[in-house]
Amino acid sequence: MAGTHSSTSLLKLALPLISEHGFTRAALARSVLHLPVPHAAPLSDTAVSALFGRGDLARKTLIHAWLEGGVESMKGAASAPTSLKEVLHSRLAYNESVLPHLPEAFALLSVLESGTPPFDPVPAMKHAARIADEACYISGDASLRLSWYTKRASLIGIYSAAELHQLTSPQSAHAFLDSLLSTSTAIGSSVEDVRVFSQYIFRSWAGIIKSRGIW
Amino acid sequence: MQPATRCLRVALPRVHRAPRLVRSLGTQAPETSGNSSPRTTSFGFKIVPEDEKESLVKNVFDSVASSYDLMNDASSLGVHRLWKDSLISTLRPGRKGPLRCIDVAGGTGDIALRILDHAREKYADRETTVEVVDINGQMLKEGFRRFKKTMYHNTPQISFHEANAQELPPSQFADNTYDLYTIAFGIRNCTSIPDVLKEAHRVLKPGGTFACLEFSRVNNPLLSLAYDQYSFTMIPLLGTILAGDRASYQYLVESIRKFPPQPEFASMIRDAGFTTGKDVDGGAWTDLWGGIACIHKAVKI
Repeated sequence: MAGTHSSTSLLKLALPLISEHGFTRAALARSVLHLPVPHAAPLSDTAVSALFGRGDLARKTLIHAWLEGGVESMKGAASAPTSLKEVLHSRLAYNESVLPHLPEAFALLSVLESGTPPFDPVPAMKHAARIADEACYISGDASLRLSWYTKRASLIGIYSAAELHQLTSPQSAHAFLDSLLSTSTAIGSSVEDVRVFSQYIFRSWAGIIKSRGIW
Repeated sequence: MQPATRCLRVALPRVHRAPRLVRSLGTQAPETSGNSSPRTTSFGFKIVPEDEKESLVKNVFDSVASSYDLMNDASSLGVHRLWKDSLISTLRPGRKGPLRCIDVAGGTGDIALRILDHAREKYADRETTVEVVDINGQMLKEGFRRFKKTMYHNTPQISFHEANAQELPPSQFADNTYDLYTIAFGIRNCTSIPDVLKEAHRVLKPGGTFACLEFSRVNNPLLSLAYDQYSFTMIPLLGTILAGDRASYQYLVESIRKFPPQPEFASMIRDAGFTTGKDVDGGAWTDLWGGIACIHKAVKI
């Protein structure tokens, strides 16, 4: 029986079609033309709705599948031990083939079905957070407690900025990412220096106060 | 009136040992069991031999047929119409060109009429066709009579066939023929749901859509409590008052509870070879009114 294909496998087949057809129902409908035993015609509109949801819901399903594919591609790039930088670069490279369609995709993700509130920033933040977390994991980041959060928070900021930059200026995106990462490292080390110095001052004062017998 | 049976093509002999499909507001799930003793299936909350179920179900539907529409309205407070409307509006027949549809267990033509109206009114499509299939000749007669009041009568857009959903005759319902297969409040009446799904998969074209509207499982405990109270007390009572038949309606209510819950039914659909969305509300199925009814959709890939 030919019915062993899941809707997930159809989504995978639709991913390479995005560069040509965008994040559209047409891309989903054409996925069946690339099955091992291809269909004669693209899926009907009714069938696309049945499998992936009505109207823009189907497009959102495709966008989520593409984002998921992006995270998978980061894992794929990390077969050898990889640095954080390389992982983020590979994720930016994943965007390149569909770049003209990305602004629309992110706009669609930020629109709620109910229409209120008019703009929902959560999906965009989740997207960046997922990438930051995955990048940390792949690069073998072992930070704990507060630094676990600060590391991810800074990466969310860096990756979001780089991606935003990429939408307007694709050529310079990788260089921009590099500069952000080095700045962040510089900031990180400055913060660390400040922390060590403050600790030194604090301990000195504590020692002085103790020796004076105030306590 | 011209005898309605003239337009009905009798596909199977009336006496027929295989389990058959009957249609109505409620009926039941298969649950075959055991290899040794006679195979059994559920009849409401009772377990009966498979061979007997068909005649038992038939009795139920013979007894409710005359007041079928009235009782549907009374027991669901008219909501079954909304559910049928939402089934059609999710399918949007005719939106991208004419479809060849088969409506199984669709005797009274409720779904067929909605499909044709939707295609005509929204998309000026007069080429979409619906073949109504039911095992119950009386229901088909009712549907035929109803269609005589519409513009579709005597057009190629509609035809009525008496056949068993579990074994649609291949001579009449060839493989890979239809774009859309619908079955509304009918699949529970079948002795073997997997057989119905297998036939649906056979007759659909690759890329064709299967859509099933059926009573299902209410997941909200509060709503479920209220719904149980209503259906086990009010519906049999309404049956007594309006149709003079408590037992049949008791059976209908029980059969709703015996139908597999959403994820289980979705997996049965996949076992038949279909592809579905994810196993969540809004994916493989869409709950209506908190799961009192549910639309399952799948595609033959």
